[in-house]
Amino acid sequence: MKFEWFVASRYLRSRRKQSFISLISIISIGGVALGVATVILAIAVLNGVEHGLKERFLANEAHVVLMLHGSDFFGGYTQRIAQIEALDEVVAASPVVYSQVAVFPEHSKRIQDVIHIKGIEPAKEDIVTGFSRFVAGSVDFQNSPLIAKAERLSDNTVTGGIVLGARLADRLGIVKGDILRLVVELQEHPINPDTFIPDLSNFVVIGLYESELAVYDNSFGFIHIAAAQKLYNRANRVNAIFVRLRDAEVAPQAAPRITDTVQFSVLEGLPIARTWMEVHAPLFAALRLEKTLTVVIEALIILVAAFNIASTLIMTVMEKTRDVGTFRTLGASRGSIMGIFMIQGSVIGILGTLLGTGLGLTLCWLLSSNSLRPSPWWALIVAMPVLLQVLIALRRITPRPGGFKMALWLFWLVSIGFGLYCFVKPISLVELGLSQIYQMNQLPIKVNWFFVGFINALSFLICWLATLYPAWQAANLNPVEALQHE
Amino acid sequence: MTHSREALIRIKDLHKSYYDGEAELPVLQGVDFMVRPSEMLAIVGASGVGKSTLLHILGALDRPTAGTVFYEEQDIFTFPDKALARFRNEHIGFVFQFHHLLPEFTALENVAMSAILGGVTQQSSVHPHTDKAKEIASCYDTRSVYTRAQELLAYVGLSERQEHYPSQLSGGERQRVAIARALMNQPQVVLADEPTGNLDSRSSEAVLELLWLMNAQAGQTFVIVTHNKELAERADRTVHLVDGKISTAGKW
Ligand SMILES: Nc1ncnc2c1ncn2[C@@H]1O[C@H](COP(=O)(O)OP(=O)(O)OP(=O)(O)O)[C@@H](O)[C@H]1O
Ligand SMILES: [Mg+2]
Repeated sequence: MKFEWFVASRYLRSRRKQSFISLISIISIGGVALGVATVILAIAVLNGVEHGLKERFLANEAHVVLMLHGSDFFGGYTQRIAQIEALDEVVAASPVVYSQVAVFPEHSKRIQDVIHIKGIEPAKEDIVTGFSRFVAGSVDFQNSPLIAKAERLSDNTVTGGIVLGARLADRLGIVKGDILRLVVELQEHPINPDTFIPDLSNFVVIGLYESELAVYDNSFGFIHIAAAQKLYNRANRVNAIFVRLRDAEVAPQAAPRITDTVQFSVLEGLPIARTWMEVHAPLFAALRLEKTLTVVIEALIILVAAFNIASTLIMTVMEKTRDVGTFRTLGASRGSIMGIFMIQGSVIGILGTLLGTGLGLTLCWLLSSNSLRPSPWWALIVAMPVLLQVLIALRRITPRPGGFKMALWLFWLVSIGFGLYCFVKPISLVELGLSQIYQMNQLPIKVNWFFVGFINALSFLICWLATLYPAWQAANLNPVEALQHE
Repeated sequence: MTHSREALIRIKDLHKSYYDGEAELPVLQGVDFMVRPSEMLAIVGASGVGKSTLLHILGALDRPTAGTVFYEEQDIFTFPDKALARFRNEHIGFVFQFHHLLPEFTALENVAMSAILGGVTQQSSVHPHTDKAKEIASCYDTRSVYTRAQELLAYVGLSERQEHYPSQLSGGERQRVAIARALMNQPQVVLADEPTGNLDSRSSEAVLELLWLMNAQAGQTFVIVTHNKELAERADRTVHLVDGKISTAGKW
């Protein structure tokens, strides 16, 4: 039996008259636990958001986009694509005509929107951006039965089919089979040179595109590459090549290799290869900043909890001064005295850290499982322990020691967990704007075990350091003065 | 009672002054005496003369300003902290006027505490007789520690109060627990500072009986600071502390 453990554990429990110390140790444990739980939860959410965003970007987007300065068109793209695809890190590359046009539905008289139009080769595009996975309806731009049907019903000639972003279609009030008119160019009026007549092309909506990125669903239309080339009178020319890599993370290294490979002449223009990371750089930078800030703030919270431990220990040392004197007369060395208080503080630190980890991971699990939805009734659950505690304070109920008290603390813990959960869940979804922009209907959670380990170690280290001064103080009490301490 | 002539404790030219800033308050001014094995030695003197101070120095709880204390020719103030703590644990028992029991431990645990403590510092024994170290080590497993503590409590007549906390005991009972505690590790010497100072005459009589019984049965050496005339007269020897020195007058 170890003397230091024997004494420290008794001091921690302190069920005899100075029970306020054990209340203080519980508060200290709670402080550490809250700090650790919130940091685990916050980082898991931020990681989840980052991970979710990456996943969504990578599902819909090319890893590298090669364009010329000023989005100029260029020819010989089949050959250039072959060159790019010969690179080790490249899975596939697809030719794209990329532009913006004004649109209005067939029976409308006003231009309703300006949208992005992507002219694609469907088979290639499927490999590069997984295009057809997100389409409800046909992706057969030339031969969809809807085209022939619409042509029969309409007076206008139809150029081809278009796959329209689902939300864009909602906004324009059109459905599959309707005709959308694209304003590509304005031509001078043959008689009155002051006015222009629009050069219109009619496309039949053959499918709706619905991905997890609102930007595509809101403002994109996809047509066949040949149709796009015809719109702009650029036969056999494109203005972008979209590239998919084996590993999205190597995009920064792959981009310069791609520009080196394709070799544009000075006349053609200056090539630029943009990686998906560059495209979303501001967002990822903001997330990283947020993560750093979170860790710093949470470290401060844990530091506060550590001060709490230090003050608890200083109070304990003051209370136990006579005991320290007695232990010294019984033959305890300075080291033993120091050990007692360091064990006491470390136990608080370990319990708080473990409890916080448990609480944090439970919250992560609850939030990601999506099986529990916060409801006002939960307020009752939170109110219960408060009520119980008030009743105890008013002495309407006398808590029996042991089981009942433990149950009460457990109840508190669960209530706090629920409270946090109710608080975090609705707020974060709205605050992060995730539900609108990124179609995240559930808080994304990704627990990084390495980080959990790191925060455990950090928390315990801080708590342990907090025990040093009070323990040292106790160890250096003069035995005689300690004995005579009132 | 037989006394060997050689000293168990030798106190040599002990000085102790307290300082309050510049002002020096000399308390002990050259104390010389010895304690023989198995004797009952009483230290008497006026209040404030420095008896408690002397006893604290004897137990190495405090350091002298000058001079030293030898236990069997070992200068205890040369020991490093850990060795000194172990020495105290193995060889010295304390009894104070105020019991100084640990309020959060039962009577039994209070008595057993010094043996539990001994389990920690076992490695660095400074005691010359290794038998003793072994003997103590052998009683450091939990069972025998508590068995011995129970025996001691029975010895001081408190078998029934093992699981009681100090606050549940009377003053006399607390002091008897303190005495049992002082004897736990079978120390060579018990230093007692007014052990009966806080008790009524009946309790105080019981406590004194106990001390003498211990001395007779286990041959333990007692150094007792007291104002109690009766106690001083019963002691084998009485040392008078006058003006910071041992007075030659009195029973020697
Ligand atoms: N820590 C201290 N600082 C300053 N002076 C002290 C200290 N401890 C004791 N003294 C002084 O030293 C003197 C001796 O004190 P001590 O307690 O040894 O006396 P005592 O002989 O035990 O008296 P009593 O019989 O009343 O217990 C006293 O005058 C006391 O005021
Ligand atoms: Mg005194």
